[in-house]
Amino acid sequence: MSDPKSASMYESAKKIYPREMGGRFADLSKLATVSLLGLFYLVPWLMWDGHQAILFDLPARKFYLIGLTLWPQDFPYLALLLVIAALSLFFFTALAGRLWCGFACPQTVWTEAFIWMEQLTEGKRSQRMKLDKAPWSWNKIRRKGSKQFLWITFSLWTGLTFVGFFTPIRELGLELMTLSAGGWAWFWALFYGFATYGNAGYMREQVCKYMCPYARFQSAMFDKDTLIISYDEKRGDPRGRRKRSVDPKEAGLGDCIDCTLCVQVCPTGIDIRDGLQYECIACAACIDACDSVMDKMNYPRGLVRFTTEHAMQNEQTHVIRPRMMVYGALLTLLIVSLVTSMALRTPIILDVIRDRNSLYRELPDDMIENIYTIKLINQSNDAREFKLTVEGVEGIHLDGIGDAILVDGGGVLSVPVRARAQRDHAFGVMKINFIAEALDDSGDRRVEDSRFLGPTP
Amino acid sequence: MVGEEYRGTKQWSRNKQAVFTVLWISFLCAAVGTMVFFALFDPADIGSAYDEDLQLDRDAGYAAGFFFFWVFSVACSAITAFLVRTAPKRDAAHRDE
Repeated sequence: MSDPKSASMYESAKKIYPREMGGRFADLSKLATVSLLGLFYLVPWLMWDGHQAILFDLPARKFYLIGLTLWPQDFPYLALLLVIAALSLFFFTALAGRLWCGFACPQTVWTEAFIWMEQLTEGKRSQRMKLDKAPWSWNKIRRKGSKQFLWITFSLWTGLTFVGFFTPIRELGLELMTLSAGGWAWFWALFYGFATYGNAGYMREQVCKYMCPYARFQSAMFDKDTLIISYDEKRGDPRGRRKRSVDPKEAGLGDCIDCTLCVQVCPTGIDIRDGLQYECIACAACIDACDSVMDKMNYPRGLVRFTTEHAMQNEQTHVIRPRMMVYGALLTLLIVSLVTSMALRTPIILDVIRDRNSLYRELPDDMIENIYTIKLINQSNDAREFKLTVEGVEGIHLDGIGDAILVDGGGVLSVPVRARAQRDHAFGVMKINFIAEALDDSGDRRVEDSRFLGPTP
Repeated sequence: MVGEEYRGTKQWSRNKQAVFTVLWISFLCAAVGTMVFFALFDPADIGSAYDEDLQLDRDAGYAAGFFFFWVFSVACSAITAFLVRTAPKRDAAHRDE
């Protein structure tokens, strides 16, 4: 190990020290960070009607969404919801570019929080660069140590919160505190905590550049009317340093004073003046930086700004265009169908399983009997009474089950039943329907088909 | 004059890109796979179907399922990435065909 560079498997990336920059977009980004992280850390602690308001209870296989309880059988809703989320991303990308990346993506949001903790302990950009170069000292240990302490605590809390979306967080918190939590709870809390620590503390925008599929294919959603961050080359070039008193026109210069602040603040380390690049996550830090310089120079703001390619070419920008109409129409269609199907959802699940071990049984009084296992799930939150009937063969009826079956709210009833029919009507394989009907005014009913077997004619 | 620490110096090496991309994309695929699979099958049922005495608890079932999918996806992505990156280059004479 004489040469650590050649011993290392990878050439390590030079560290990027983004310069902190206040401004309109920085404020907006802080607002987004605080509200999104606030939601994430707060939501699992909210209660509703005696249970955690939002809980994807995996051990019990039930999802609680405020007043709604979803079951594994409701998976299509979740799938539809994910499709809607993806399509919304397309819609907003086509409209406003990478707003998601710059302000709402968890990667960005957590990175922002981690950078804030870094600045709190290690200071501003120049101080951080100096500290990294400096030999180890008490000051360096103290600053680096407190940064790690904040990062690790925050990561562990994040892991706990994440697991708290899947197992009741109040009990989980207590169990973790008293070290009585189950192994898997610990495992996932640490796993997610570690992922947060690595992603937001170290990998940061490298994730966007190298690992994010969306960042690569978002350009497919872009057109000349999409909002992008752009440097106004016509106005800015030729670039050059000058005194504030110099009139740029007389000196043959554009408005860009080549201060490179826009490059220094860029978290992905690009130069926005080179044109639109896929590394750009539209965080708008360069806009804030440039605006502050323009203010100092008494030039109008917006040398780097949110604009569209059409606007840069002095052409009309079209918000409503075929692409937006297609995305919009699809999105509306899916949202309407999700809402309708959820509104029309019958909170009963009926499963019928024919007894695999016997075909049929002949009873003494010329009756044929088939045996089934009925699984009746009451998806509502209150206990309800149901009536179970069967139809499809003349005179078929159920035996061994009462007229009113009580199932608790969220309860599952598994019961064997015997269906009987006169031998004269039961031949071969016949299709029958089981019907579960709620014994109240709701009119909720669920039909499930099965087969009734009789002797071959 | 653009700072030293910017402009092309901060890129990950090709190997690092490949390793982390494979891990991360497999992770996402495994997450989706786990979700779909366990929406359809209850881990508690799978255990008892295999052996009536086997009482697989759900937490362990979910974790096992997730890691199965992850390892499987990593193998798939890694082999694909390897083949794409080590494919023979087409020689210049045939490049324009």
